[in-house]
Amino acid sequence: MLILIVVFAGVQFIPAKRNQSNTVSTSDFMSVYSVPKYIEAKIKVSCYDCHSNDTNYPWYNKVQPFALILEDHIKIGKEELNFSEFGGYSLRRQRTKLKSISSQIRDDKMPLLSYTFMHRDSKLTMSDKKLIVNWIEKLKDSI
Amino acid sequence: MRNLKAVIGIIAIAFVTLTIQSCKNEAKKTDVDNGIPQMEMNSEEHHNDEDQDHSSMNHNSGENERNIEASTQKNGETSSIIDAYIQIKNALVAESKDDAAKGATNLLTAFTEFDMTKLTGDTHKEYMEILESAKEHTEHIVKSPIDHQREHFEGLTSDVNDLIALLGTNKTLYKDFCPMANNNKGAFWFSEVKEIKNPYFGSKMMKCGSIKEQIN
Repeated sequence: MLILIVVFAGVQFIPAKRNQSNTVSTSDFMSVYSVPKYIEAKIKVSCYDCHSNDTNYPWYNKVQPFALILEDHIKIGKEELNFSEFGGYSLRRQRTKLKSISSQIRDDKMPLLSYTFMHRDSKLTMSDKKLIVNWIEKLKDSI
Repeated sequence: MRNLKAVIGIIAIAFVTLTIQSCKNEAKKTDVDNGIPQMEMNSEEHHNDEDQDHSSMNHNSGENERNIEASTQKNGETSSIIDAYIQIKNALVAESKDDAAKGATNLLTAFTEFDMTKLTGDTHKEYMEILESAKEHTEHIVKSPIDHQREHFEGLTSDVNDLIALLGTNKTLYKDFCPMANNNKGAFWFSEVKEIKNPYFGSKMMKCGSIKEQIN
């Protein structure tokens, strides 16, 4: 028990990195495409924390080892899809990404359960999912 | 002292609980990933829908694809890429996730070994775009459960289609189409044999699909 506590105290000294940029990039998804306000808000709350250069950090980012777990999630998330750099992708890649976005949301694979568990407001309702999937599909077919 | 112990105990319990909780969530996530596609596999329904789906297919899957000329350039350089693609296809037909991953690893090797120095100008640019996308799909096929492999196989097929349209092949290939795949939007695949063997459903609907085009 004592060891556990010492370890827990010790890891607090690991500095937490921050995934935040204060500028909105010109290649940001929201700058490149005209996204309806409601969908924009939903995507920003439910996806941007791990899939953009701007994370809206929760309180537990101040506590290790959660900050490390979070950092790892963000790193992987951005590798797969980074909304901040979306405009820089080739059209072919954009279409692929849009397809993956819609299938991940439709199949309830994203947002991650472990994420919506900690961020209740990021959970998408059935009608939100439908709305976003339909809009993303339409965008995919138009580019 | 007693109080301190109690406080530390509570913190430790809270910590352990939270850790277990997050592990649980991870496990749940994996379950979802491994799940089979949640689609009704009713063969009767399939046949009823077939005509309708066929008429709309060109608006969906094929929209952004290039057309392959019936007599495409006879190019042997793309062979190892196509061979590895076919290996993935056959693994998905046989419902082997591991073999599909092996085929995908071979495909990544084939991409690396492909000599692109002969490509110039626009052809080179387009090849690079196709390659970027195809590699991404292939990397996912290496590490994913089979339903996800199949999703990426569909994207990969579209890349292979454009690659053949761009560079050609000397192989005889059949371009097949199943209207049920890709959530009823329909999806193509390439096959080296005439007989229909469906990589999107495997044994669930092995015969679903028809030949849309023959190359060479």
